[in-house]
Amino acid sequence: MIRFRAGLALWVFLLAALMGLPAAFGGPAEPIVLGVPTALGHSDGADSLRAVQLAAEEINVRGGVRVGGARRPLQVVSIDTREHEPGIPIHDALAALEKLITERRPHAIVVGAFRSEVLLASMDVIARYRVPYIVTIAMTPLFEQRVASDPGKYRYLFRMGLQSEYFAGNLARVLGFVKSRYGLSRVHFAYQDVLWAKGTVSILETWARQSGWTVVGSDAYPTGATDFSATVIRAQSGRAQILVPVFDMPQAGILVKQVRTARLPVLMAGYVVPVVPGTAWQTFEGAVDGFVQFLHEPGAIAVKALSKSVHFNRAYGRKYGEEARLRLGGHGPGPSYDAVYVVAAAIERAGTLEADRVADEIRRTDMEGVIGRIRFNERHQVVYGGLPHETAISLAFQWRAPGRRVVVWPEIAAEDEIRLPAELRR
Amino acid sequence: MFEALSILLYGLVQSAVLLLIALGFSVTFGISGIPNFAHGGIYILSGFACWYLLRKAHWPYPLAVAATVALAAAIGTLLYWLVIRPVRRLVLAEVLATFAVGVAFLELFRWMGLVTYEFHLPPVLSGSVTIGGVTMDRHRLVIVGAAAGLGMLLWWFGRATRTGLALRAMAQEEYTALAMGVHEDRMAAIGVALGSALAAVAAVLVLPLGIISINLGYDAILVALALTVTGGTERTAGLLLAALLLGMGTVLASMVLGPHWSEVIYLLAIVVVLAVRPSGILGRFKELEERV
Repeated sequence: MIRFRAGLALWVFLLAALMGLPAAFGGPAEPIVLGVPTALGHSDGADSLRAVQLAAEEINVRGGVRVGGARRPLQVVSIDTREHEPGIPIHDALAALEKLITERRPHAIVVGAFRSEVLLASMDVIARYRVPYIVTIAMTPLFEQRVASDPGKYRYLFRMGLQSEYFAGNLARVLGFVKSRYGLSRVHFAYQDVLWAKGTVSILETWARQSGWTVVGSDAYPTGATDFSATVIRAQSGRAQILVPVFDMPQAGILVKQVRTARLPVLMAGYVVPVVPGTAWQTFEGAVDGFVQFLHEPGAIAVKALSKSVHFNRAYGRKYGEEARLRLGGHGPGPSYDAVYVVAAAIERAGTLEADRVADEIRRTDMEGVIGRIRFNERHQVVYGGLPHETAISLAFQWRAPGRRVVVWPEIAAEDEIRLPAELRR
Repeated sequence: MFEALSILLYGLVQSAVLLLIALGFSVTFGISGIPNFAHGGIYILSGFACWYLLRKAHWPYPLAVAATVALAAAIGTLLYWLVIRPVRRLVLAEVLATFAVGVAFLELFRWMGLVTYEFHLPPVLSGSVTIGGVTMDRHRLVIVGAAAGLGMLLWWFGRATRTGLALRAMAQEEYTALAMGVHEDRMAAIGVALGSALAAVAAVLVLPLGIISINLGYDAILVALALTVTGGTERTAGLLLAALLLGMGTVLASMVLGPHWSEVIYLLAIVVVLAVRPSGILGRFKELEERV
């Protein structure tokens, strides 16, 4: 009997040892899966994924995320939704999102939708699968309206990237400055016919008319358009002094070159995605000289007033190389990097991976990040403003010879004020 | 007056751009009957190849351009012998096989991460000129000149050289051409190689207007198809007329109705021409069922 008990005890001990040893001696803990479903064929999407991987790696080097009593590493999984391409239906992007959720079972999603149209359609999918979701690229203000309409249903959805109303406000402030400083009063808009750009220009146009500007014209181009002569002709014949282009498609580079080679006497101020990278001066052979380009969020440029942006910029260059750092896009990477830290901190505070509690903790976030101070409003949008220690901020820089990006807005980060291009000064 | 002259000049430039992009596709289809839907892929491949030779290998501009055109011709030749010849005469299979190759090229570039914005080609001539108050870059004028020059060169090639005559003979009456000793496969391979070389010429002339973007390859196929269907396949003059109509039409529509309409014009042209005159504006002997 004694022998039987001793044998049983030995077997129980061996079984317990086999089950418990890996955990006791720090065997591989189950990772926390972060999903990145976005347009990876677009540089903003691809750079955002790299920013997420960088943040996850930094957190893992420090031991991972504390969940209850254990530390668990972050694992990043991604899927290309291709939603930035002309002709890719929203349905395909949603199918990609659902595939990621059902096959990889992410505990949270970051970066998310690239197109606003896809974001709005994704909201119900996310509500159905109950996955904390932080979008950093799609910009439509309708997102906030939707969250406000049913806070319970959309409790898992948050946005850390810029919203287009903020962008319109930022552009309005810059236009206001050049009006008061240089007396300019004639503006022409050209934009991509997608939800965020249309929304931005619609707000701006209304503001401009109410603020005494003469709106010379407003041209909407379909995604993929390659000829912008209508804008060049209209802006020239209408004697526009400012041209505001709002595009996230690479083909808009044609407009920039076309305006410069036509020697149009205008200040260009807006968002043209290929004008953001530090390599744009060479790419456009100086045609970007004087262009006032907005960075929706800091990240591509290190700003002294934001220490995390300096760290991010350097760390990105170390991990992916100097060329990749120079090519960093102006929309997505900064908040995507921050989003990983927001999720990690929320999980640690919640002490669980349970979606409702993680979402509640994300909503309570208050931390410093690459983009400034990160706090969500009641409609789950990070608050943007002009003071980096109180809100997240956007930036605007002006291209100057011989290929420098000089930050000109907001005042707290500005290195110089906006200068008029030579054609306009004459 | 300024607007009218601007529309005329930019319309002319746009016509030349469309003609250059479509010329290779149309020539291949017109002279060898092969619908080379890899045209857009070869167009973008040529752009990236030229960029690499100029920016990374630091070759002189003329040498880089010549090498790019030669590379495209070689790819066209291989395309014929390896992909098209096994499915020759099976029209649907030819379309699908060449389209698959084109998509494979474009998606390979996407997979390689060539989606950033540093890929650009230099203009042939820098600087701008002013014509009647309309300032335009010299490169756009080069495009107009090159399109006109290439059109004339192809016209001469088809009438004054043995190869050109053989190609035209194959297109017009295949059995008679074969009876006269024309080598079918060799001529078809030359047709695809010539079309591919023309795609490379278009790339080095048109892509400097902006930056090299993968999606432009898909646009190139739409443009080529619209012009070929509109103009008719067997006459260069038809293609020229279609380029003028669509080029002027897109700029005018963009000015009068809004830029959205410029894209609609291509599709509208295909639909209207196929419904009203299936052989194309100047086409004579191609019936609807023979066309793509």
